[in-house]
Amino acid sequence: MVAGSGSASARRSAGRLNAPRAALVETGPGETPRFVNREQVTLVREEWRVVDRWWTEDPVDRRYFEVVLESGRNVCVYRDREQSCWFTQNA
Amino acid sequence: MFPVIAYLLIPGFELRVALRALPRLALVPAALAPEAGEEPLLGPVTGAAEAAGVKPGMRLGEALATCPSLVLVDRDPAAVEREWEGVLLRLEDAGFAVDPSDQGAVVFETRGVERLYGGVQPALERALAAVGSTWDSRIGAAGRRFTALAAASVARAGQILIVAAQDEQAFLEPLPLSLLPMTSDRYAELEGLGLRRLGELAQLPGGAVAERLGVEGRNAWRLAHGGRRARVRGRRPAAELVEALVFPEAVANELTLRRALGSLLERLLARPERAGRPFRKLALAARLVDGGSWRRAITLRDATAELGRLRAALGPKLSELPAPILELRLETVELAEHMGQQLTLVEPAGEEAVGRLREGLRQVRASTGTGSVCAVVEVAPWSRVPEARALVVPRDD
Repeated sequence: MVAGSGSASARRSAGRLNAPRAALVETGPGETPRFVNREQVTLVREEWRVVDRWWTEDPVDRRYFEVVLESGRNVCVYRDREQSCWFTQNA
Repeated sequence: MFPVIAYLLIPGFELRVALRALPRLALVPAALAPEAGEEPLLGPVTGAAEAAGVKPGMRLGEALATCPSLVLVDRDPAAVEREWEGVLLRLEDAGFAVDPSDQGAVVFETRGVERLYGGVQPALERALAAVGSTWDSRIGAAGRRFTALAAASVARAGQILIVAAQDEQAFLEPLPLSLLPMTSDRYAELEGLGLRRLGELAQLPGGAVAERLGVEGRNAWRLAHGGRRARVRGRRPAAELVEALVFPEAVANELTLRRALGSLLERLLARPERAGRPFRKLALAARLVDGGSWRRAITLRDATAELGRLRAALGPKLSELPAPILELRLETVELAEHMGQQLTLVEPAGEEAVGRLREGLRQVRASTGTGSVCAVVEVAPWSRVPEARALVVPRDD
């Protein structure tokens, strides 16, 4: 086991603000989120799509949901249609 | 042409240092004792202990059941610090700008000294020679930090293993997943999925790994592809300002210890090498009566050279001593650059707040290292993709 191999370099390089983080999302009818990171969704406040950079090799095709969780937290999640996985993000 | 990044590894460095005082234990089953107050997990182990089935990180009870004759060696953090600093200084004397990642592991680039020594291989040979043969050090070199670390991890003692850029992926593929910095739960999860080698992890789609294993899995997947290509920044050389006091017999009395500390502070403040600069970070170390050692580093809120303030900052640490001591040492870890603060008759508006903010940031940097203070820079605030709007950039000015 080798500890912290890339940590020092990672600390010193520029990073993106509001970078997406992988999330565990269970969906219900219409592919809307029912659970986010094992916490139940009580309300879907808003939904929108972002389709961008389709002319590049790194296209963006996301379906965003702003949801309220059981704990009262407001969370933004999106499904990346290119990678077919869910992420949370401060949008 | 990208720079060659070299990783110099000394496996089980802490145990090697502890065994220098007890060389007879090097040939018997011995292991570094768990840290006091921490989970009872073994540190590095000797070859004889490994042959008897004891592994580093094993639970103490399990290890003693596996090998009843196992000898536990006390940790000696002060000696480890001293010896490691010696290794780093010898590398720096040879011209390498070193970035220590852990005790026993240091990374550096060869670009600056390749012409001096006549190429990458001779430069790395010089680095090994500078460290000396007693430590069984080994070097891995590659274009990326993780690949260099992986190469050093599989190299034999005294060996230099250089991985060419085009061979990096092929080199990493057969290596075990244990090279990745992950928790034991993650290893178990990956093993449950039938993954054993870096190549097997690298072949999976990145998105699927991130979804299943989260950020840790994503990082591991990235490292399995060789990791990021990043430059190495050498550390700022430490000042060699140390004062020590040896007691004729073991001392535990707090009043005596505080007087000893006061005397050490006076001697350190009088050292001409300080050139009037105040202290930013100091370390208090002691040799314990039972043969062990103790060390605490203190970062000061404001860099100072006032005896009273230094005494007030360091004094309470003496009550944390676990046993009577035979020697007390005071080491300068970092000196501040400025000589003092010039007072002005009329302070410009906002100047004081800016000065205080700058000083605060300097304190954070001193205690957490370079790269820990960042600024947010807007790059495309109009973008519909949230993460494309701004960057977090390290500020070391």
